[in-house]
Amino acid sequence: MTEFLAALGSLFTTPIVPAAFGGVAWGILGGALPGISPSITMALLLPFTYGMGPTTAVVLLAATYVGAEYGGSIPAILIGTPGTNAAAATVVDGYMMKQQGKGGEALGISLYSGFVGGLFGLLVLVGLTERLSSVALAFTPSSYFALGVLGLSVIATLSGESLLTGLMAGVLGLMISTVGTDPVTGLNRFTFDSPELLSGIPPLLVMVGVYAVSELFMKTGEPNWEKASREDARIKFPSLPMWKRIALPQAIGSVVGAFEGMMPGAGGAVSSFLAYNEARRWSRHKEEFGHGSPEGIAAPEAANNTVACTALVPMLSLGIPSSNSSAVLLGGFLMHGLIPGPLLFVNHPDVVHGLYTGLFVANVAMLIIGYLIMSPCMWLVSRPKPYLMAFIYALVVSGVYAIQTSLFHVGLALGFGVLGSAMKYFKLPVLPMVLGVVLGFVVESNYRRALVISSGDYRTFIQDPIAAGLLAAALLFTVAAVVRRMREA
Amino acid sequence: MSTRSVSRADARRELVLGCVTLAIAVGYYLMAIRIQQSDIADVVGAQGLPKTYAALLAMLSIILIARSAAQRGFPAAPDAAPVTAKAHVTRGVAWRVFGMLMNGVIYILVVPWLGYILSIAALIAATVYYQGGGLNRRVAAVAVGGALLLWLLFVRLLHISHPAGIWPSLL
Repeated sequence: MTEFLAALGSLFTTPIVPAAFGGVAWGILGGALPGISPSITMALLLPFTYGMGPTTAVVLLAATYVGAEYGGSIPAILIGTPGTNAAAATVVDGYMMKQQGKGGEALGISLYSGFVGGLFGLLVLVGLTERLSSVALAFTPSSYFALGVLGLSVIATLSGESLLTGLMAGVLGLMISTVGTDPVTGLNRFTFDSPELLSGIPPLLVMVGVYAVSELFMKTGEPNWEKASREDARIKFPSLPMWKRIALPQAIGSVVGAFEGMMPGAGGAVSSFLAYNEARRWSRHKEEFGHGSPEGIAAPEAANNTVACTALVPMLSLGIPSSNSSAVLLGGFLMHGLIPGPLLFVNHPDVVHGLYTGLFVANVAMLIIGYLIMSPCMWLVSRPKPYLMAFIYALVVSGVYAIQTSLFHVGLALGFGVLGSAMKYFKLPVLPMVLGVVLGFVVESNYRRALVISSGDYRTFIQDPIAAGLLAAALLFTVAAVVRRMREA
Repeated sequence: MSTRSVSRADARRELVLGCVTLAIAVGYYLMAIRIQQSDIADVVGAQGLPKTYAALLAMLSIILIARSAAQRGFPAAPDAAPVTAKAHVTRGVAWRVFGMLMNGVIYILVVPWLGYILSIAALIAATVYYQGGGLNRRVAAVAVGGALLLWLLFVRLLHISHPAGIWPSLL
């Protein structure tokens, strides 16, 4: 708590406030564009954070996530098209309210519920991550290897329709992570005598390629989305009676979002529909759900923004991203030389507490900017899709070049864009591959380091109690996912 | 489209995927065994995990190929929901991806010569045209305006230099 209070002081000495406001604004704009997910919005921003301080960069990215989760509800309510997957549940009652002439009220409920959910998620984040990190000091290379394996075991949950293709994507990611210099001997691997590949393939390029570039490629030729009128876009904050009515669904949404956000693979979409169902179950006005119920907006929107914070719990404390967006945020950490996981709280407490402060400011900023940004948002969403796609493409290309002023990196990002497009065509899930790229180095370097320390004795992974526990958890996780799939089949 | 052909389409797609990934695994393994051996190597060595990954991918690919070959013989269930048009990936997707990729590749090739502003303006205009936005004065204005905006953002505001092209040498 004292560190958190000290972090509040950093508000006045570091650019956390402008980073939070900027990230939220960017996130709302990105989330409002149908098809541009929070992870893509964040991935587009990654190259820009290269020249920033680490705290500013992570706050900017995290605030983007917060803003995008709200931004997705804008087109969901106004044109019946969710801007993000997580906003799909909001379409059900939000669009109905708009058609009843209550679009402004629906937007106000969405914004206010997102604020409440975000603050609750932040409390959970602060309360849980510090406790998990206290185990950090006992970690050995064996433990880190087991942690990496636990992170990879999440692939079993994130594999979408097919566990087999998910595993293949994960292995592909691990193979990509071997490009560059061997972590123990320093030998070159798969560099094709190219100096640019000596330091490996930055996870950032992989993420920008498979998320942002491939989305641009695949959306070519698709029809434009519907336009909304400006009159619909005047936000009306809830009245006192409405505040009372939506308090319970907000609480339900926040609790559901807190649990689901920490679960790998669940994310905003799952939590928002779960929250919707639970809110309907406990509502005194069940008959209104599906016909323009304000509770049908409050619950999923509270859940979405809770997830934006609680998804960071496993990523910050264990270095395991539980969603596409937290994977991109992990990329941001890595880009600034920060290794999320147990030692982050020991080595960089200023970054962690700055992130907490930034998220608090971001949630407040969301209320302010969410109200002010409606007109520019409506203008942007109404632009013809070819112009938007072209500008985003130019932004991606320019941003990737800016990382190391390398056209080779731009070519790599385009290449991963093609790979991402091919993966989508063949229904290979992307997130397992990204996990493989991000965790591959951790797994290999600690595996080999542990064997060097133990003089080649493989029993070291079982004799270390933390490593043994984490490996057992990974096995349990994988088996549970397989059993669940078999039951569903 | 009949449900029987949908099942075969997915099975065919998986068969192609399995063959492609098997080829990747074989190629990766052949490159892995050519990695130098070091005198200071540990028990695993620089080749160790790459060979393991290649073997894993090969095994998974073979399973996928076998599964898709088995599924091609099974018709889909009679009451299976018909696939909507959106769920189908049209043949044009490869060309669309190729076209967008070429826009980017041409940008990479010309930017050292034309410089950042002209090249990025050309990229914007080409992408708008390729996305079905036509080619007219409005597109040109958007391309030039977008290029100037990005130049201001990256070069002036963020102080990140982008290629200037051959123009400084001509002055």
